[in-house]
Amino acid sequence: MTLQEFVLAGQWIFLAYFVGINLGYLLQNVVAAHGIRRYLQTAEQYEAENVFSALDIPVSVVVPAYNESASIIQSVRAMLQLEYPQYELIVVNDGSSDDTLEKLIDAFDMREFPEAYRARVECAPVQGVYRSTRISNLRVVDKENGGSKADASNAGINMCRYPLVCVVDADSVLQPDSLRRVVRPFLEDPTTVAVGGTVRIANGCTVKQGFLEKIGLPSNFLALVQVVEYLRAFLFGRMGWSPINGLLIISGAFGLFHKETLVEAGGYNPKAVGEDMELVLRLHRLMKEKQRPYRITFVPDPVCWTDAPENLRDLKGQRVRWQHGLGQALMLNKSLITNPRGGAVTWVAIPFYMIFELFGPIIEVAGYLFIIICGIMGWLAWPEALIFLGLAIGLGVMLSTSAIMLEELSFHMYPRFKQLALLYLIAIVENFGFRQLTAIWRFQGLVRWLRGTEHKWETITRSASLAETRQIQLKK
Amino acid sequence: MEWLLRSDFDTLTTIALWSIAAVLATTVILFVYTVGLRLATISEGQRRRQFLDRWRDVFAMSMLGWASAARQPVPRVRRSDRIDLLEEWNRARSMVDGAAVDHLIELAHHAGIPELALRLLDSHRIQSKILAVQTIGHLRLSAQRDAVRILLDHENTALSITSASAIVDIDPDFGISIVVPMINERRDWPKTRVSVLLRQAGSARISEPMYRAIRAEDDEGKTYLLQFARLMESEILDALVGDLLRESNDPGVLNAALKLVSGFAGVPRIASLTQHDAWFVRMQAAKVLGRVGQEEHLSLLESLLDDREWWVRYRAAQAITSLPFLGPNDLRKLQLRQKDRYAADILQQSFAEAGLA
Repeated sequence: MTLQEFVLAGQWIFLAYFVGINLGYLLQNVVAAHGIRRYLQTAEQYEAENVFSALDIPVSVVVPAYNESASIIQSVRAMLQLEYPQYELIVVNDGSSDDTLEKLIDAFDMREFPEAYRARVECAPVQGVYRSTRISNLRVVDKENGGSKADASNAGINMCRYPLVCVVDADSVLQPDSLRRVVRPFLEDPTTVAVGGTVRIANGCTVKQGFLEKIGLPSNFLALVQVVEYLRAFLFGRMGWSPINGLLIISGAFGLFHKETLVEAGGYNPKAVGEDMELVLRLHRLMKEKQRPYRITFVPDPVCWTDAPENLRDLKGQRVRWQHGLGQALMLNKSLITNPRGGAVTWVAIPFYMIFELFGPIIEVAGYLFIIICGIMGWLAWPEALIFLGLAIGLGVMLSTSAIMLEELSFHMYPRFKQLALLYLIAIVENFGFRQLTAIWRFQGLVRWLRGTEHKWETITRSASLAETRQIQLKK
Repeated sequence: MEWLLRSDFDTLTTIALWSIAAVLATTVILFVYTVGLRLATISEGQRRRQFLDRWRDVFAMSMLGWASAARQPVPRVRRSDRIDLLEEWNRARSMVDGAAVDHLIELAHHAGIPELALRLLDSHRIQSKILAVQTIGHLRLSAQRDAVRILLDHENTALSITSASAIVDIDPDFGISIVVPMINERRDWPKTRVSVLLRQAGSARISEPMYRAIRAEDDEGKTYLLQFARLMESEILDALVGDLLRESNDPGVLNAALKLVSGFAGVPRIASLTQHDAWFVRMQAAKVLGRVGQEEHLSLLESLLDDREWWVRYRAAQAITSLPFLGPNDLRKLQLRQKDRYAADILQQSFAEAGLA
């Protein structure tokens, strides 16, 4: 193959990738827009009912906590005020080295309790179970550090008494009606085994008593870009997969599961880097293998607000971890990839994820290098290259614009015109630098997975706005 | 590789140029649409606030039961306010009872709400039909009973269940007689809505039809309908539960029936169910025995303490702890004589929950 042939072949590969990924996203967009429209129409009716009864399914809320001393009391207080008729709250202290447990014991009058629990899923040894003397639906599980959120979640799952389990990050800010919203698919379709909801960025918002008081946009550029990213990822990314039962991920920050199916699948995998995605893939695998009808559903309602990294180090760590976790999760469930009865998961979702999400960074980074090298060597036809670059950027902006439109159509969480303008500005600006940077980080994550590098947990710095607000609350 | 090289990249560049134009145009359309949506939301909010300013006091006075308020001149209903008027009126109507209902209905007639509802009933939009049917039900427009009856069979869940509520509002006896036999067929109806509908009709009215419907169904249907049986009159419910416990061996029916046991009737049968194959039947039987059990049932409950299912052990332990003839010392002795670790652990937990540890 001559150099010219190599360059031309490369151009074709990039073009095919480019067309494939954008067609995929556009298709998701159309499906998501239709899905959100239908969802909102029926949601109105459910909202009008707003009736709770003994017929609602009780929920066990599991909150894994590791060194959450600064915010745990506020978070638990907020979670105790969720609008739901019957739920229990199980906080799992995963061997914190700070005073998370002591704070919980003091704040809620916890007493050690001889819980005769069933160890049905794997986890590090439990050292004690505490029960609040004031709040009957609150328990704290104190366990040895298992090195992962998955291990702590499993300990909580072992303590659950109710048929549905909701696993929530300790630092997440929940909507008061979040449980009511995510439980809806379980009421509508008894074959539902898992439900995820939209996670939004909490940076820039005001949190009071553990609940969101005022929704705002962050002043930090990286966090601001992630607001648009999350809109895309949740409003059309996940909403696009849900109608064909091809959802491969439910955010670890907030997910609701049918407990018996979760236990049957073995709970969370403590060795998985992306334990949330690995679990959803395993649920798909289990149900396909058992040939049982099932649904894994997504509700577009914003149910949970989470802290986004505000510096490059944390953001890089997160993206490398996500990519590493994606590769590992797919490989741990490789039988799903080759299952001829795998339906939309095997034939549509996994190929898309493998080509464009998992191995996509190779093409993207190679594309950048290709352009740079060709440019330096004088092999690049600049007018054509600029046209394709313009198209790539244009499509990126269009997809973000579409996500902003879906947000406006559905939940319009950012009511001021200034906020809308800022989101549009970010939709353009993120294409110059940020996207390229994340492609490189994802490439690094991919290499880390391919080399089998062991993952180490990083400490993420909290956003100033959220952390300060919470600390002020605590001092008061 | 040849086919790759032969291809004309100029054509692709042209396609790319056109694609840019299409993408730009789409982006601009999306942008304009989004801004339009935002402006429409703002304008809609202002209009709605003005509407509420005009109508809030009128509704409030009627809801408080001031008969004179219903006869006051009502504000002019603008075309754009019609849907809001119906929604607000229905909201107000759902919140009140007694004389205030009559006043609200009088106000509705005064404001032309029945005519608006009838016009909406002919709409092709499901949401409009739902609003119309809800209004007709709340207005108790008996002339529309048959029109609503047809919509009861509609495939749209929300419209169908709203029609069910409406027909019960319009003619409670007739409504219940046709709605109750449909509950099992229309499993898509939200249980909370069915529950509310039955509660509003009243236990005296629903008991007999529910009894007949449950008796007529197969085991699966019985299990489903028993979820709503708690709303029946206690005498009829007790008779039904007694019959089902005696006659059925289906785990689902037994489970649902055991949840409804309130008295002491049928205790020997309940005791025998502690040995049932289905764990949830054993669990429910243990729970009931905790309430109605006698000394002779203690050994049965004790035998469940080492059951392979945690929930059975847990309910058996709770039942033992709650038996009125066992004091703290009896309970401790009972715990000491347990050879099985699971049995001892679950009793320990139950004692701790009851404050006996």
